[in-house]
Amino acid sequence: MFKIFCFSLLFGSILFTACKKELSLREPGALVLKTVDQDASLPSILVAGTQFHAETFGNPNDPIIIVLHGGPGSDYRYLLNCKAFSDEGYFVVFYDQRGSGLSKRHDKNTYKINIMENDLDDVVNYYRKSSDQKVFLLGHSWGAMLATAYINAHLEKINGAILGEPGGLVWQDVLDYVGRAQDFSITSETLNNTTYLDQFITGRGDDHDVLDYKFTLWAAADEAEDSPVGNEGLLPFWRNGAVVNRTMFELADKDGFDWVSNLKNFKTKILFVYSANNKAYGMAHAQKVSSAYPNVQLLKIDDAGHDMLSFPRGWQNFYPTGLQYFNALK
Amino acid sequence: MKRILLTIITLVGVSTAVFSQTINWRSFNAKQKHIIGLEAGWDYGLTFGAGYGYRLKTKLPILLNAAYSFPSGKTLFDDLKVKGGVQVEACRVGGFSATLKAHGILRRFENSYARLVNFGSAFAAVAGYYRPKWHAAGTIGFDKAIATHISHSSGYLENVPNAQSAWYVPTGGNFHYGIQAGISWRKTDVSIALGRMISQGFETAPFIPYYANLGVNLRF
Repeated sequence: MFKIFCFSLLFGSILFTACKKELSLREPGALVLKTVDQDASLPSILVAGTQFHAETFGNPNDPIIIVLHGGPGSDYRYLLNCKAFSDEGYFVVFYDQRGSGLSKRHDKNTYKINIMENDLDDVVNYYRKSSDQKVFLLGHSWGAMLATAYINAHLEKINGAILGEPGGLVWQDVLDYVGRAQDFSITSETLNNTTYLDQFITGRGDDHDVLDYKFTLWAAADEAEDSPVGNEGLLPFWRNGAVVNRTMFELADKDGFDWVSNLKNFKTKILFVYSANNKAYGMAHAQKVSSAYPNVQLLKIDDAGHDMLSFPRGWQNFYPTGLQYFNALK
Repeated sequence: MKRILLTIITLVGVSTAVFSQTINWRSFNAKQKHIIGLEAGWDYGLTFGAGYGYRLKTKLPILLNAAYSFPSGKTLFDDLKVKGGVQVEACRVGGFSATLKAHGILRRFENSYARLVNFGSAFAAVAGYYRPKWHAAGTIGFDKAIATHISHSSGYLENVPNAQSAWYVPTGGNFHYGIQAGISWRKTDVSIALGRMISQGFETAPFIPYYANLGVNLRF
């Protein structure tokens, strides 16, 4: 027994030392993509005292559609289908939110619950050429929550919005939805793939590269076969911002938020979309969440899951109605 | 297949007992050299395991042991942990006893984005009150992920083309602390362990920061 143990240690040591030079998890670019402050070739804007990864498509003088990704902490790569609106006379703006995707990272203690909303206001002001230029929001998941927070605070600045499965617009609805979306069996491969990783990789509170990588490996759970959210496959991504994700959830849980008190004054119709295959969402939740708005068009996207704007079938079922909605308000 | 296997192991473990790393030295008499066991619990996931220990002929009680465990799930052998090491009863005063544990660890993890193979180590101290038929103790320890080889799937490389498949050093560590208790009769020990985990740096914690274990040993 003792010999076997010694042999195992010796074998392990030889195997380890015989390999190429080892790396650190914190090596920029080794495991997750570099951000705009680390890679000058990436398109970016300097707004709100930080550097956002951002791209635009279309004529800057056309009505603006600002696309807001989910997370918090994800990136806009999975929403790039939305650039199709630029072929129909819209100026489509994508940006990775603060600390998210390829935008510059920030440490945990710099976040406030309304910081994303303030950033969005600066982004709107950055791209808007005149007060006559219409601005629309297209938010998915957390991005739809952010869109609502912004509309609630800036009723006069937004001319319409498409909201795709926001978890909730009040905190309890978010908790209820997230609980259903992460309802994996204790014996499932998916849950254990999430928890088992904790013994391989750990990071401190602002250990961005390490936590981002770990968060990305966790994110694969959303695309697992047994995930209630019903996606068709793995979602394209650049980087998942772990620190901003955890921090925003902690802030919401600790401080709460009011994103609905002024919505009754927003008379413009909202297009609220939800997916047929997301078992954690459904029509009842869509009706409950969207009821914060006085004027709502509900749209069920068949043959799609939570990320219905990313995969071909969901996009094909969404796009005609989405375009029709914007054109009606253009 | 994996579901069937873990069901069998669970049933065997519940009905006949087997191995856990929890040793009651007072019930482990000098004529007994071997200990086998089964265990089930929450150890970074719902896990099931089996192990074997050999008691050395030494004045100071020393047990060499090895254990294999795996988490539940539909894919067999993609995630696993193998431990090998030693337990020493370092101190005994009346019914009180302290045991030190040191183990080398080989573990594997795989999901749709990456495969990780890790060499690590675990150290723990267990101290408590031990009688031939029962024991209760507190435990504290550290599990270090020393070197991890990460290789990425094509799905990950489509998103992060320059991601480097390589050895990464070090990659993490978690402290744990908790309590354990057990009963013993004839050749059998049954024990439970409960505790909490926190990651090194004390700023973050595992996704589910607790562990729990039910183990059964057979001594002969």
